[in-house]
Amino acid sequence: MDHLKTNIIPPSRQRETARAGMTWIGQSIKRVEDPRILAGKGGYVDDVVVPGMAHAAMVSSPHAHARIVSIDTAKAKALPGVIGVYTGEDLATVVDPCPSFASPPVTQHAMCIDKVRHVGEVVAAVVAEDRYIAEDAAALIEVEYEVLPANVDIEASLEAEGDAVLHPADRESNRALDESFSFGPVEEDFAGADRVIKRRLRWHRSSGTAIETCGVVAQYDAFKGGYTIHANTNFYNFIPFVIGGSLRVSPGELRLIPVLTGGSFGSKVFIHKIIILTAALARLSGVPVKYIEDRLEHFTNSDSHGSDRLYDCEMAVMNDGTFKSLRFTVLDDYGAYFQFGVGTHGNAMAQVTGPYRIESFAMRVIAVLTNKCQQGPYRGFGSEVTNWVMERMVDAAAEELGRDPVALREQNMIQPDEFPYMITTGNIYDSGNFQEVLAQAKSLFDLDAWKAKAAAARAEGRCVGVGVATCMERSVYGPTEWWFLNNKEQPGFTLTSTPEGISARFDPSGKLFVTLNSCMVGTSPETVVTQVLAERLTVAPEDIVFNYADSQTGFNGVGPQGSRFTAMVAGACITASIRLEEKLMRFGAHLLQRRVEDLELRNGSVAVKGGLEDQAKTFAEIALMSSFFRLSFPDEEEYDSGLETTAVYDHPISAEPDPDRKHLGIFYPIVGHICHMAAVEVDPETGKVEILDYAAVHDNGTIVNPRTLGGQVWGGTANGIGTTLTEQFVYDATGQFTNPNFAEFALPSAHEMPKNLKLGHVETPSPYTEYGIKGGGEGGRLGAPSALTTAIEDALRDKGVTISALPVTPPVLRGLIREAEAASLAAE
Amino acid sequence: MNKIAIELVVNGRTREATVPPRMLLSDFIRQELALPGTHVGCEHGVCGACTILVDGEAVRACLMFAAQADGAELTTIEGYGTGDTLHPIQQAFWEEHGLQCGFCTPGMLAAAHELLSETPDPTDDQIREAISGNLCRCTGYEYIIDAIRSAGKKLRAQQAEDALQSA
Amino acid sequence: MKPAPFDYHRPGDLQGVLALLATHDGASIIAGGQSLVPMMNYRLAQPDHLIDINRVAGLDYIREEGDALVIGALARHHAVHASPLVAQHLPLVAHAYEWIAHRAVRNRGTLCGNLCHADPASEMPAIMQVLETQMVLARDGSTREVPAVGYFVGPYETQRDDDEMLVEVRIPKSARGTGWGFEEVSMRKGDYAWAAVACTLRVVDGALADVRVAAAGVDDAALRLTSLEAALTGQAPAAGLFQDAAGEAAAGLDPPASAAVTSEYKRDLVRALVPRVLAAAVDRAR
Repeated sequence: MDHLKTNIIPPSRQRETARAGMTWIGQSIKRVEDPRILAGKGGYVDDVVVPGMAHAAMVSSPHAHARIVSIDTAKAKALPGVIGVYTGEDLATVVDPCPSFASPPVTQHAMCIDKVRHVGEVVAAVVAEDRYIAEDAAALIEVEYEVLPANVDIEASLEAEGDAVLHPADRESNRALDESFSFGPVEEDFAGADRVIKRRLRWHRSSGTAIETCGVVAQYDAFKGGYTIHANTNFYNFIPFVIGGSLRVSPGELRLIPVLTGGSFGSKVFIHKIIILTAALARLSGVPVKYIEDRLEHFTNSDSHGSDRLYDCEMAVMNDGTFKSLRFTVLDDYGAYFQFGVGTHGNAMAQVTGPYRIESFAMRVIAVLTNKCQQGPYRGFGSEVTNWVMERMVDAAAEELGRDPVALREQNMIQPDEFPYMITTGNIYDSGNFQEVLAQAKSLFDLDAWKAKAAAARAEGRCVGVGVATCMERSVYGPTEWWFLNNKEQPGFTLTSTPEGISARFDPSGKLFVTLNSCMVGTSPETVVTQVLAERLTVAPEDIVFNYADSQTGFNGVGPQGSRFTAMVAGACITASIRLEEKLMRFGAHLLQRRVEDLELRNGSVAVKGGLEDQAKTFAEIALMSSFFRLSFPDEEEYDSGLETTAVYDHPISAEPDPDRKHLGIFYPIVGHICHMAAVEVDPETGKVEILDYAAVHDNGTIVNPRTLGGQVWGGTANGIGTTLTEQFVYDATGQFTNPNFAEFALPSAHEMPKNLKLGHVETPSPYTEYGIKGGGEGGRLGAPSALTTAIEDALRDKGVTISALPVTPPVLRGLIREAEAASLAAE
Repeated sequence: MNKIAIELVVNGRTREATVPPRMLLSDFIRQELALPGTHVGCEHGVCGACTILVDGEAVRACLMFAAQADGAELTTIEGYGTGDTLHPIQQAFWEEHGLQCGFCTPGMLAAAHELLSETPDPTDDQIREAISGNLCRCTGYEYIIDAIRSAGKKLRAQQAEDALQSA
Repeated sequence: MKPAPFDYHRPGDLQGVLALLATHDGASIIAGGQSLVPMMNYRLAQPDHLIDINRVAGLDYIREEGDALVIGALARHHAVHASPLVAQHLPLVAHAYEWIAHRAVRNRGTLCGNLCHADPASEMPAIMQVLETQMVLARDGSTREVPAVGYFVGPYETQRDDDEMLVEVRIPKSARGTGWGFEEVSMRKGDYAWAAVACTLRVVDGALADVRVAAAGVDDAALRLTSLEAALTGQAPAAGLFQDAAGEAAAGLDPPASAAVTSEYKRDLVRALVPRVLAAAVDRAR
């Protein structure tokens, strides 16, 4: 793999290795975050009330694509209780377009100015004394539209001309980006292959759809610090830097206060548009403004729809089953804007070849603009799709080669002694033992027994099948690949180490006050930090107290995304612990009249090694002395008052892309591995799928808290079940969003989940992160669609059904069965 | 639009208010009574996050008008435990990791209360049925089911102990 | 999503309700509100006057009157579902409730309200037709009875006039030896039906008798499949007969399609579900 020669794996900076017999790491302690939430005192964005607060309601576009001819706000303005009514042109007096990570960007305004480009886009806003009145006034606003042709179909949109082009000022066509990437000897590998497996695969859009929508409370004071904003964004420390320009203030004049967030799954990573929108309304109206998306607005205008892709895929294989190369052309329907460019494809290239040895890869990605809500992150950030594509191709290869699909996987898997393993795109897999994960899954699920049961059931005419997926779960992202994704002339992106920090301070009573710089979105930031600090410092978990910094009082923090937070914050905890330990030891040594070398941390105290209880000073004693009684210590700078530190952890192992674009660098190197197995029964007459049995084995390195990791696995699996069986945003031919509600867009309920989930873990520690921790926030959704698709196909094997698109809702699956039955009748 | 005077008992405390007829009970609880533990997720009666107990029955607060609650007895998430202790069902949710983001939790707790008051020792299928009208996007429901099963055990043990003591 | 303003009335007796209906145009009755309030929150329904019948005493009955069970306007779904009388005399109704919505909705929603809302994908309008229920409609000064068959005329549309209230339904008890069946397919359990089929029948001297089959979700309103019933009556029950009859019934339907579900799929469901409910009913009839 010559093209990887410039990509050197940096040495490990790990300070704490995984070891047996740890006290806190590896324990399923109860979450620190929970009691206040269970008592109803969580503090979500809609719970924020500020004096004088008014409420905003939006007028949303009923059209997929139209010119705004006129907006008449007179009746709305006259309604008692209305404070102000604003259009896109009003907003433009105080804000500039939204930030974009695409280069060159596609212009997006927080409120439409000239055109609407999808149903649900905001064309006017009302600020009123309460939301009821605001909605009354919104209903009185009359907007005249000139309807333009709507682009709905992913392929047809590429051919659109004239009025059908979404952004004529930015792009001549609806092709937002068309880039090709190639790694390793793709042409040679295909030329030398015995067979080329070809499939056309389709992945339809859905989204994270958290039960809490997005919301903002914004205040503006020109004389006192500018904007003060509460918002349920995941990324509040970074947001001021990306939206300050839009709001025409410096980041320092923009204070973002984090709130407890009611679920994200990626969908609340930025939410910058409604932050800009609400902030502008506060500035224009002169009063604090609350805007909470209602469910309809969240569905239609949240900028967080997930991947929507059409693949033409080819895999080069040898007759002995060896995988050689993979290449595809993918059309991705990004909707009306392009906020992250093709970031979701860059993400996927971290693990695009799966757990297999595949030495070359090529992709052409064509980003298509259509008249739909734009894409944003959703659990997997594109990798969930390529995992499914990879596993579909492996199953197709097994079918064509007449091989057992599991054996074929085993034959091509990277071996345990090959790590760190650099894949052809330049990313590395730090560690793993895919064989052990598979072996544990086989035994947990009892694969052989299920295969026999399924075959017996099929012999009786029932449609029972088994599916196995072996997938990667990249974690701890370091987005160096972004630079690579935009076009070569204007890469427009500088590399970051995605730092994560904490500050920690022993108060005089010995409580350890920890300030986090990332919010809680359903993850367990306080619990993780508690377990790591308790492990490293021997501090009692109940002595740790948490605060969340805001964007002005805090510092570096990137937050929960890309399955990064646990591993990254653990690094910050270790740095903080090392520094606090040094201080504790120094003060403790003086108080005990011992040399530091003779002391150790033990049960929340500095103690003489091997000494008795009375030869120790508790952290509380040391904290009291060091905080209040400076004069009891030597007159040297290192004894200055206080026990506190601020610690930032930079990504432990990222490397830059090759300047000649031969590889992407190391950007998502801490890889987990997952194996999901499912048994299903299909009712061929109705297309309904019942999941009979389900097992998941995950290797997320050293586990901090098995129970919270289990929660992530099953939550992600539920998302994956929805993605596979029930969830799709359906736009009709005119661009109307036909199911923007929870009655018709069907998240799985408790009834749709398998009744006998079996969870297993393998722990292959990362050599790069502290304690060997890997991320585990996305895995369920990264594995479930593949396992279920294969199981359903297996169940319908006698009917000759091939599944090439998700979701397979009952009507879709029944349609496939009907077609297959008709084809087989015709063949007779 | 007439205004309606109402009087109701919320978490044991009598509250009086005058409300516009269209004010949803969910908004009344959150905004007028300043009890934000009841969450609003969809306002069309599907997600179940706003479910509370009205006269002991689980009810969608987004599908009732505050005026209709005149004379009723309401229990919200703030009213299950005492001031400084969690109710056994809440405790079980904590122990079993029955919540992640916590947004669906108030509704789940209401559904669990109703179930366990009628069926102290429910089967897993009965638990599934009881919470099937409450959507959770975080957990996949598995640990919520564990939590409700465990809560049943706690409540039965507590009842047995109470019975023993009164005997 | 907040409702538009309305005037609120909460009469204490039935006469008060009927008087308000007689004098107020654009009035809606609210009982459980489980279908009405979502539509009001979306502002798809904007009644000028909301007449809340929840304060009317004595409307929540479920009682025996001769050969019928009579269910009042305020009987909640859950009360009907849990009623021993219903379990004894209307096992089809008790069973079908397993598929209808969720507990919190059933706690508040009413059977009569559901029948007034008349969602074409709702189950009870089909079941009431199978059971040959009589709908008792009252207006200020008069009362009339309308058979459930024919009552549901279109999506969200019934024979009830704007100034009328459905005060009760009278459901004939299932006769001894009556078998019943109910099947539904929806995306999730508890969702509105893509298709639901209900039936009752008897087997007399080895032949099918009193066959009544109705379907929801497959037309503008729930409907009886009368030609299917005719084709089966007098025949000996057999899987092949059921399949053929189901096929013909399906072919005779033109179900409205949506973006997610085709007409063809709904016909497939009728083809699949009809034989299942018939077989279940025959089993129970024996």
